[in-house]
Amino acid sequence: MHRLGRMAIAGLTLAAAVSAILPARAQPPMNAAGYDLTGEWAPRFHEDQPERIPGPEIGDYLGLPINEAARLHADSWDASILTLPEHQCKPHPSDYAPRGPANLRIWKEIDAPSQQLIAYHTHISWQAPERTIWMDGRPHPPDYAAHTWQGFSTGRWEGDMLTMTTTHLKMGWIRRNGIPRSDKAIVTEHLVRHGDYLTWIVIIDDPVYLTEPFIRTTDFVFDPHQQIAPYPCQIVDEIDRPQGVVPHHLPGQNTFVLEFPARYGVPAEAARGGAETMYPEYQLKLKTMPPARSAGR
Amino acid sequence: MKLDPIAVSKATGFICATGAAFFLVASAGAPAQTSRSNAEAAKDARDAKEEKKDTNTDVHVLPVQGNVYMLVGGVGGNITVQAGDEGVLLVDTSVEALSDNVLKAIRSISTKPIRYIINTHVHADHVGGNAPIAKQGAMIEGGNMGQPYRGAAILAHENVLHRMSAPTGQQAPFPTEAWPTDTYFTKKKELFFNGEAILILHQPSAHTDGDSIVFFRRSDVLSAGDLFVTTTYPVIDLERGGTIQGVIAALNNILDIAIPKDKQEGGTYVIPGHGRLSDEADVLEYRDMLTIIRDRIQDLVKKGSTLDQVKAARPTLDYDGRYGATAGSWTTAKFIEAVYRNLAVKQSKSR
Amino acid sequence: MRHLTGALTTRRRQGLRATTLPALLLIALLPIVTGAQRGGEPPPPPPPARTIAPIDLTGYWVSVVTEDWRYRMLTPPKGDYASVPLNAAARRMADAWDPAKDETSGDACRSYGVGNIMRVPGRVHITWQDDDTLKVETDAGTQTRLLHFGDAAQAPAGDAGWQGYSVARWELAGPQRRGGAGPRANAPGPDAAAGQRQAGPEAPDGRGRGTSTARGGSLKVVTTHMKAGYLRKNGVPYSENAVITEYLDRHTEPNGDQWFTVTTIVDDPKYLAEPFITSSHFKKEANSDKWRPSPCTAS
Repeated sequence: MHRLGRMAIAGLTLAAAVSAILPARAQPPMNAAGYDLTGEWAPRFHEDQPERIPGPEIGDYLGLPINEAARLHADSWDASILTLPEHQCKPHPSDYAPRGPANLRIWKEIDAPSQQLIAYHTHISWQAPERTIWMDGRPHPPDYAAHTWQGFSTGRWEGDMLTMTTTHLKMGWIRRNGIPRSDKAIVTEHLVRHGDYLTWIVIIDDPVYLTEPFIRTTDFVFDPHQQIAPYPCQIVDEIDRPQGVVPHHLPGQNTFVLEFPARYGVPAEAARGGAETMYPEYQLKLKTMPPARSAGR
Repeated sequence: MKLDPIAVSKATGFICATGAAFFLVASAGAPAQTSRSNAEAAKDARDAKEEKKDTNTDVHVLPVQGNVYMLVGGVGGNITVQAGDEGVLLVDTSVEALSDNVLKAIRSISTKPIRYIINTHVHADHVGGNAPIAKQGAMIEGGNMGQPYRGAAILAHENVLHRMSAPTGQQAPFPTEAWPTDTYFTKKKELFFNGEAILILHQPSAHTDGDSIVFFRRSDVLSAGDLFVTTTYPVIDLERGGTIQGVIAALNNILDIAIPKDKQEGGTYVIPGHGRLSDEADVLEYRDMLTIIRDRIQDLVKKGSTLDQVKAARPTLDYDGRYGATAGSWTTAKFIEAVYRNLAVKQSKSR
Repeated sequence: MRHLTGALTTRRRQGLRATTLPALLLIALLPIVTGAQRGGEPPPPPPPARTIAPIDLTGYWVSVVTEDWRYRMLTPPKGDYASVPLNAAARRMADAWDPAKDETSGDACRSYGVGNIMRVPGRVHITWQDDDTLKVETDAGTQTRLLHFGDAAQAPAGDAGWQGYSVARWELAGPQRRGGAGPRANAPGPDAAAGQRQAGPEAPDGRGRGTSTARGGSLKVVTTHMKAGYLRKNGVPYSENAVITEYLDRHTEPNGDQWFTVTTIVDDPKYLAEPFITSSHFKKEANSDKWRPSPCTAS
């Protein structure tokens, strides 16, 4: 009893000393909590502003790893297709949405009893799409489930970076001049916050229209005063045309594609895009190319 | 000599189960082999992977909206199930080989009797299960509703009956138990079942000459049959009266009926003959694609291009990676050929 | 018997007192003792930046130009300043751009300065010059940047050339250490023990408790003391007083591609109406096979 008492006291003493030094473990795992991304985020258009706001030029395929199918699709595209009633109210799909007019709100959905994170949600100003990024480990739906503009997204933390995988996207676009993104694409994204700055990294893997994954990054600044306005959309009759007419250019007959390279002094071959145009060594090739001539010369 | 109907049924079912397009354009001869693009090769690789999955006999249930469900399984077409207090209504029955699993899937939704089967068209991957499944059903009899046999009623456009049956003494492609028990020959047929109006609308000279789309008005779901698929270019069964113009007209009709809930998404859901659950925006992409391809081929036909010249021009290049195929029962080449023949005939008639 | 028991009891009490009291004293005084140790002696030197790097940025990386293509792969024409929030003073400077003059005056590298170098199409080679200095070399313009993990007071008096003077720190994922923003960005401050208490439990991959690699993180770089340069090759200026903050983040994709993305914030009230924010992405390459040094060009 005597010896046991001393041992007990010695043990308690040791435990007290050790506990003063070692970390407490009351919190849930920090990597699971990540870095809070919630709030109001204002976009910055310090990159590609002409393409993102007024809109891309017809025939500008620079820096896109597209294949010949994508090129033909874009060459055939006529902006007038957007006047068709069924095209008027389409929002940007989730992989393009950060690029457009994109005042952004992010909020969390928390399970009240367990305080575990269920999902992140986003709302973007233009056409008001709302998106859910499931953080609770649920699987993606089967192939035969419906596709949506925002797709089905699951997320996980990698350190303080939120990594998201999105499937089940509707047919969309990589650039708003007819460069398509198919509904077979899988999109990987990373959201990383540094104080008041948010960088949104989007990587599109499209086996139908791209020869390699396509990366694009967009920046936002925390703006607690931001107030996003509603964005209703109503379909109207814009052009009186027979039902069933789909505006497009027949192959080889879209002369507008020649205007962009001529206007900006870009070699016509470069304007056709392709993966090689993304890499620095393409600058060597550019030096050997003749300058663009305007259409009709 | 009287043939054994069971043996005929089995043999016919086996042949029909290999797919509808087997019957198409046989007189055209083997299409010229065009060079295989990287996009088509990549798509073929993806499709081969999918086909491995398609050979299994699992049938999956996907709740759609209101009273309506979609059954997806194997090589057969999609099935629409509408279930309620009055019983079960099906649109199409897939292939015969899946019937047991189809019935199990239906029973997981409802234990009520199968009262109606509506066929969207005649092809075996949509009517193959008619006989075994109708047999398990029970139409309500009485008044002027008599049935030649006990079982579910099978409704279709009368051209479906013409294609499934044969004059007396001749070999029918399908057993009598699979034939429609009730047909219509006007623009539409109406039903009210399980609390909602159901419109069956004929789409003339489209995928075949006997196509119907089925619109569940309260559930706001439309079954399109093979007029709209998300897997391939549309099969145009020239031998059975199909035309590209008819398919495009049918898609435009679907777009007229469908109304999206918000921002071109949701609202009216469209169950395709094959592929994933869709809505108006998905039908729109398909309609746009076909219209553009039709316009391109039409332009070439007007310029006097031969079929080989049209194929060489690759009028489907920007869609081949998504819908095309160089192998299987319905290839890109066959599709182009069908459209060409359609438009070339029309062109020569108009002269 | 009772006498023996009583003697035993007394001895037991004495023994317990002898053991218990010092133990209780120890427990009570422990915080004071350790606190005295903390305040009384200088803190241990911080671990070398190289050893606590939460991400590995070393290697050869190629810039993948998918944005601002005609402003980066080509020299944009004079007057085309789209996307840059430049003010009137900057516009006047840019409108006066004379590349021939820059060549002859030895300023051909103006657009390869720290304000723009990460936007120049090219390759970067990142290595550790020493345990606390990360070296970033570029083949385009043959520039060298040194990212110093350490004392910002060591910055030079005048300008430190086109690349300025860069102070770097690791930003470990998870709650930041209190007092960690001292003179040496990674040095443990007075609350080092508290910071260590927040080191946290296991990383998701289970690779040990609280290690910086397991936690993940970013590299933050703040650069000052630079020569004035160009944000774009066509003469859009930034001044010698700009403060350039960069965040470098690593990410690996499902197909195995490794990337880092650098978010660059140029704060220059002399020429910019607001901070100029861009993000550039670099993909890892296996080796130096495509490394192609080329001199600066003014146009």
